[in-house]
Amino acid sequence: MSSKNILICDDDEGILDVLELILEETGHTIIPEKNSLNVRSLIEKKMPDLIILDLWMPVLSGDQILQMIRTTPAYKHLPVIMISASRDGEQIANDHFASAFIAKPFDYDNLIAQVRKLI
Amino acid sequence: MNTFERGKFLFSGATKNESFELLTKALDASISGIIITDNSQPDNPIVYCNGAFESMSGYSRNEIIGHNCRFLQADDRSQKEREILAKAVNEGLGCTVEIRNYKKNGDLFWNELYMSPVKDGDGKVTHFIGVQNDVTYRKKVEHDLRQQKANMEKMVEERTLALRDSEAFLTSIIETVREGLLVLDPNFTVLSANYHFLKTFKVTVEETVGKQLYALGNNQWDIPLLRNLLVKILPTNNPVVDFEVEHEFPHIGKKLMLLNAYRIELEGQFKDQILLAIEDITERKEIERRKDDFLSIASHELKTPLTTIKGYMQVIERSLPSEASEKFKSTIGKVSQYVERLNNLISELLDVSRIQTGNIELHEARFEFDKMVSDVVDGIQSSAHNHKIILKGKTNTSILADETHIIQVLNNLLSNAIKYGPDSEIIEVNISNVSEYVKVSVKDFGVGMSAQDTKRVFERFFRGSEIQQRFPGMGIGLYVCDQIIKNHKGTLWVESQKGKGSIFSFTLPKNGKGSDEQ
Ligand SMILES: Cc1cc2nc3c(=O)[nH]c(=O)nc-3n(C[C@H](O)[C@H](O)[C@H](O)COP(=O)(O)O)c2cc1C
Ligand SMILES: Nc1ncnc2c1ncn2[C@@H]1O[C@H](COP(=O)(O)OP(=O)(O)O)[C@@H](O)[C@H]1O
Ligand SMILES: [Mg+2]
Repeated sequence: MSSKNILICDDDEGILDVLELILEETGHTIIPEKNSLNVRSLIEKKMPDLIILDLWMPVLSGDQILQMIRTTPAYKHLPVIMISASRDGEQIANDHFASAFIAKPFDYDNLIAQVRKLI
Repeated sequence: MNTFERGKFLFSGATKNESFELLTKALDASISGIIITDNSQPDNPIVYCNGAFESMSGYSRNEIIGHNCRFLQADDRSQKEREILAKAVNEGLGCTVEIRNYKKNGDLFWNELYMSPVKDGDGKVTHFIGVQNDVTYRKKVEHDLRQQKANMEKMVEERTLALRDSEAFLTSIIETVREGLLVLDPNFTVLSANYHFLKTFKVTVEETVGKQLYALGNNQWDIPLLRNLLVKILPTNNPVVDFEVEHEFPHIGKKLMLLNAYRIELEGQFKDQILLAIEDITERKEIERRKDDFLSIASHELKTPLTTIKGYMQVIERSLPSEASEKFKSTIGKVSQYVERLNNLISELLDVSRIQTGNIELHEARFEFDKMVSDVVDGIQSSAHNHKIILKGKTNTSILADETHIIQVLNNLLSNAIKYGPDSEIIEVNISNVSEYVKVSVKDFGVGMSAQDTKRVFERFFRGSEIQQRFPGMGIGLYVCDQIIKNHKGTLWVESQKGKGSIFSFTLPKNGKGSDEQ
């Protein structure tokens, strides 16, 4: 199994750190990003195989990014996992065609399982 | 020349003396008091009184003769009748008065007194004759009548005042309530509008009273829902209670109103008039929404660091060296457990707030019921090491419901079954089809509860009395479950026996909450 790129975008540094720590177990390369405005260029540069997106982020929110991805032909089929502590998270994720939704706080095994399922 | 001498009283064969005696007897037989005073003597003393005068005054003859008649006035000397008498006596005239006199024993009596002078040949007044009648009884009746009349007048006055008072009182209530009030006649013409109505909808009395309700303010009150309400619902004799209407008013913008309408059934002046109370709840709803928003944000912000904590805890749990002490391992376990509890508390708070505001939105979608149940059971089973959850039955159906909400209910019931059955191993989950519903039962063999408690478990913040200290919790879980199931038009109930265990069951319509409306 070759190593894949996983781009994680969350405005909270703590969550970014812990996600990176956990997902290292999968053996994939983790690209953590705090600023949602950089996601677009990171997708172009790093060609991630999976994106993990927080929903509520300042300036550019997760659903806006997801919308951009789903309407850009080149990235349309990119697997995206939406993560959120918001009650409406799952609804918004579904409405914007996220590949999966994981509620915060997440369960370790569930997270790993979802990631493995998508790449 | 007097009557005697004219011989009028001279009876045949009788002497003057005999005739005088006869006359005296006649005077004594009179029921009116009769006295004669001698005006030629100082202070007009009484020289004669008959028997009736004695019995009327209570004095005996010897106490009467020689006195001026004023002794009957006792201490009551400032009556205007006394002056009338004094004047008459002075001028040698007759008069009639009603004067307050007092008997020997002190009792008051009203004395109707006729007094007239006796003149001699030269026209000089020699004597006065007084005829007295005790008119106390008549006076009393008269007085009572007057009193009665006065009382009546007073009562009428009081009643009128009370009426005017209560009318003023009612008006002031109507004017002070912070709710718009309209009175309409049966044709929906406005008969009156209170201050609050005028203020809320920025109109004047002239623009309102006497106008058709629908025509008010350039037809801005021509609201289909309101029409429907007044025309269809009210005539069925049902009051309209708390009817929410949202309407965009041309000048004042969008308003959320709570309408209460009531038609007067009582025979009389007000029959068939309609009272329409209009409460502007735009602001209240806005405040509730902001509270929900605040709690949403608060819970999101609280969960964010919690996510990090829980993530690290899970990393630690998984990287525990096998040689770590039992104490260390169980400590880690405890931390995880309490992190989980904190997380649940945060979610519950938000849920309760939303339920109270009526802000739980249902996102109904079809899903495979059996799979949802088995997924939830698996999820709980993976962290419940001391319990065995047995899933029985199949529905083989998909249902229309808000899956996340139903998952929440099932999670709640299973967590309770585990929490309140710490020493029992088995938990049974049964699913089945019942008519157009699916039914789920969660059966535990734990502490159970008293019949009394079963009636209250679905109340907000209710916690079993003995449960209180032994198990952590806020008493919100079942309340939220109940509200969710009710929102779906299903039912949630419990059967339980103390010390034996509990069965919590719920039903859900397979075709969604709107299914019974078609
Ligand atoms: C014949 C006669 C009978 C009177 N009978 C009464 C009587 O029954 N009760 C009474 O209060 N005054 C009676 N008066 C009036 C008083 O004697 C007296 O004239 C009256 O009080 C006014 O006088 P004064 O201001 O000196 O008291 C009678 C007077 C006269 C001449
Ligand atoms: N399975 C059960 N067995 C016995 N009692 C229960 C069970 N489930 C709930 N209860 C009782 O109902 C109460 C309310 O439950 P819940 O609303 O879930 O709040 P909490 O569990 O936080 O106390 C509990 O405090 C307990 O007394
Ligand atoms: Mg965020």
